[in-house]
Amino acid sequence: MIDKTLNWFDDRLGTAKGGRSFLDKIFPDHWSFMLGEIALYSFIILLGTGVFLTLYYVPSAHEIVYHGSYVPLRGQNVSEAYGSTVGLSFDVRSGLLMRQAHHWAADIFLGAIAVHMARVFFTGAFRKPREFNWIVGVIMLILGILNGFLGYSLPDDLVSGTGIRIAFSIVESIPVVGSYLAFFLFGGNFPGSGVIIPRFYVIHVLIIPAILVGLLAAHLGLLIKQKHTQFPGKGRTEKNVVGSPMFPNFIAKTTGFLFMSFAVIFLLGGFAQINAIWQFGQYQPFQISYAVQPDWYMGWLDGAARIMPAWEWVGWGHTIPLEIFLPAVIFPGLIFNILIVWPFIESIWTKDHEYHNLLDRPRDRPKRTAAGAAMLTLLFGVFFASSTDVMANFFQLPLMDVLWFFRFFVPLAPIVAYFLTFKICNEMRVAEGIGKRKRALIVERSTEGEYTTTEAPVRPGDGHEEIDAIPVPTFIDTTDPSLATAAGVRRVIR
Amino acid sequence: MARISRRSIAARMAAPTALVGAVAIFGLVAFSSGPAQADTTTTTTASTATTPAPVAVDPTTVATPPGDVTATTDTTSTTGPTPTPYGVGATAGSPGAQPGSVQAEPSAVTALPSAEATAKAAAPSNQGGIYYPALPAAYIAPGQALFAANCSSCHGAEANGKDGVAPNLQRLGAGTVDFWVSTGRMPLANTSAQAIRKPPRFNRTQTLQIAAWVQSLTPGEGTQIPLVKTSGADLEQGNTLFTLNCAACHTISGAGDALMEGAYAPSLHLATTTQIVEAIRSGPGNMPHFGVGNIPNSEARDITAYVTEVLQHPNNSGGVGLGGIGPVGEGFVGLLIGVGLLMLVCFWIGDRS
Repeated sequence: MIDKTLNWFDDRLGTAKGGRSFLDKIFPDHWSFMLGEIALYSFIILLGTGVFLTLYYVPSAHEIVYHGSYVPLRGQNVSEAYGSTVGLSFDVRSGLLMRQAHHWAADIFLGAIAVHMARVFFTGAFRKPREFNWIVGVIMLILGILNGFLGYSLPDDLVSGTGIRIAFSIVESIPVVGSYLAFFLFGGNFPGSGVIIPRFYVIHVLIIPAILVGLLAAHLGLLIKQKHTQFPGKGRTEKNVVGSPMFPNFIAKTTGFLFMSFAVIFLLGGFAQINAIWQFGQYQPFQISYAVQPDWYMGWLDGAARIMPAWEWVGWGHTIPLEIFLPAVIFPGLIFNILIVWPFIESIWTKDHEYHNLLDRPRDRPKRTAAGAAMLTLLFGVFFASSTDVMANFFQLPLMDVLWFFRFFVPLAPIVAYFLTFKICNEMRVAEGIGKRKRALIVERSTEGEYTTTEAPVRPGDGHEEIDAIPVPTFIDTTDPSLATAAGVRRVIR
Repeated sequence: MARISRRSIAARMAAPTALVGAVAIFGLVAFSSGPAQADTTTTTTASTATTPAPVAVDPTTVATPPGDVTATTDTTSTTGPTPTPYGVGATAGSPGAQPGSVQAEPSAVTALPSAEATAKAAAPSNQGGIYYPALPAAYIAPGQALFAANCSSCHGAEANGKDGVAPNLQRLGAGTVDFWVSTGRMPLANTSAQAIRKPPRFNRTQTLQIAAWVQSLTPGEGTQIPLVKTSGADLEQGNTLFTLNCAACHTISGAGDALMEGAYAPSLHLATTTQIVEAIRSGPGNMPHFGVGNIPNSEARDITAYVTEVLQHPNNSGGVGLGGIGPVGEGFVGLLIGVGLLMLVCFWIGDRS
């Protein structure tokens, strides 16, 4: 029966060949190669839960009177967007679980992208021929951040409304075109003419996800085409891929991982509250809550804006608000551009234009590792700077002291991190036996009282055994020798 | 391809698991108890400061003769925006706390009657759900003794303050005194920083005695001690008013936050109804004070009800509240527990050669 069905498809679509190479695809085995899959699986959850949410969410700034089951809001004028979000949280079965899982999945999606990206960076996996895939990844990161911002803005609650207000000012701060651009995006001066919510909605649920799906296909397609990178090791060369095949090994592993990701995200969605918008209330432009932060992936921009001194440039009848233009436009622009061009910078710098399928150990490229560590320190610095008020309150310190600490920490710490990492890498390269598990020492005392030390035998599991490569089955697409015109030329029978 | 035994997997997993787990647990604990810690208050405050508790009224044991202040007119029926003048005690008596005793004897006795009881007892001054019962005149003399022993070194024997040391308390009213003393902010722990909420040094009766004495210096002036009947309050109105007037500093969840110049807006999670109205009316520290023209009594009652009934018992549908501090706590959990846990899964099922 299965045979027949598969043959039916193969006869018409030729699925056997593609299926064979798919099932035989080799995945090098290392735990850090699976980080990207966290992002992939959270993205699947985002799509699924997101579709559920669109069934109940009303993308409209139109004012209604709330009559739902949350008592303190009853009788208040709220926008349909806010009212429907509170409604789907309280009055739709499993609505709150879906909303929270969606939100947690977004946080984890971007976190996984960041971790995956760090892995790719520190192991040099972005080098030729994979620069293009690195760029695709960076663009997905940017789009993911943007879509996260749009997504948490959709409920139209007090906290996210404050974020939209800041976004308006950021766009406005761009010289020359800023105010035109802001008016164009928001349909007039803030808070716009009620077009923000529907516009954000279309971009959030349609445009960016569509681009993301396309880029994801490109990302994975390139990965299959270019094959995986692998760590250097016995039997691993630039010309081969050593690992377990898709079927039956990897598929079991990755399916398990898929369900693990689902489990973690839905457990968080069920047991950890996120974005309790009913506690925040409807956004009103004249209201504000203190202690407002963006979601974590926007935090580094918020932090940069917080620690920036209040500078502005005034001339020829115009003002350029540097205090917001530099940290919120120039700074992220620089960061993302550095990320995109990094593979090319590095290949020019190192004059290395070779193909690389074997990965670097981070310690063997001390300058790159140090640069990455410096970048991460910078980003973590501004990220933590976005919670200056929470820290000041939590540790009972004066707010300005915390702020001034970050004003020095953010520019100085990356420099320290660079040299520290560089030094550590160099030390690790010359240290004996680093990265290997220490073997036990057996100390014995002889009858004369003399002590001798001998190394214990290798522990089971610490040693590496090579297994013979399993030959890939060749019964598909065998070439008929009689049809071969010349050696090496293969003619496929249609 | 490496083959790794289960034992070595467990060995290698142990360290990172323990680390991430410890950090994650620390994070959860720290953030979920954040607001309470920020105010350095223990649960004793909450239990001792719960004002409108049922009362044991004992008008017989008057420790001290009333004195000349009792001559003040009994204007308990005053309504409208003017503050109730300090009147002769009609509803409550003194349980006879030891004058001058600074050791806070945890006493279950609350000298003021509950709001409900007062409402039944001919409502001395019902102003939009807020009552201002008069303090018994018998409180004045022990109050003076307590004040002399505990407060006068800074505020002066006549409570008129000292330049550069402590403010003049005359004309501030019993409510102001009650707020500062009942929240434990006075006596001050540290003169160089904003007063922090801490377990109060005086029990309820002693606090009211001090307040009664300060009030007796300027009868009828300043903030009175309110009792709030929140049962009929309009929570929707309270929500709106809180967002408009309070959230800008105390945050929308009432968790409080750091402000400029070393000041901070304290958490409201331990405030009692009486303390909230006292704070609204007297504007302690950096807080602006709101008069009845700004926030009428009925609105103050709505805000109070919103704080004590909604913010102090938030609807945490959807799981652990994560401290009510928004995306900071959420990012912490999302990255450390969410991504961290999944990375451990990677580490578990992936190869580690």
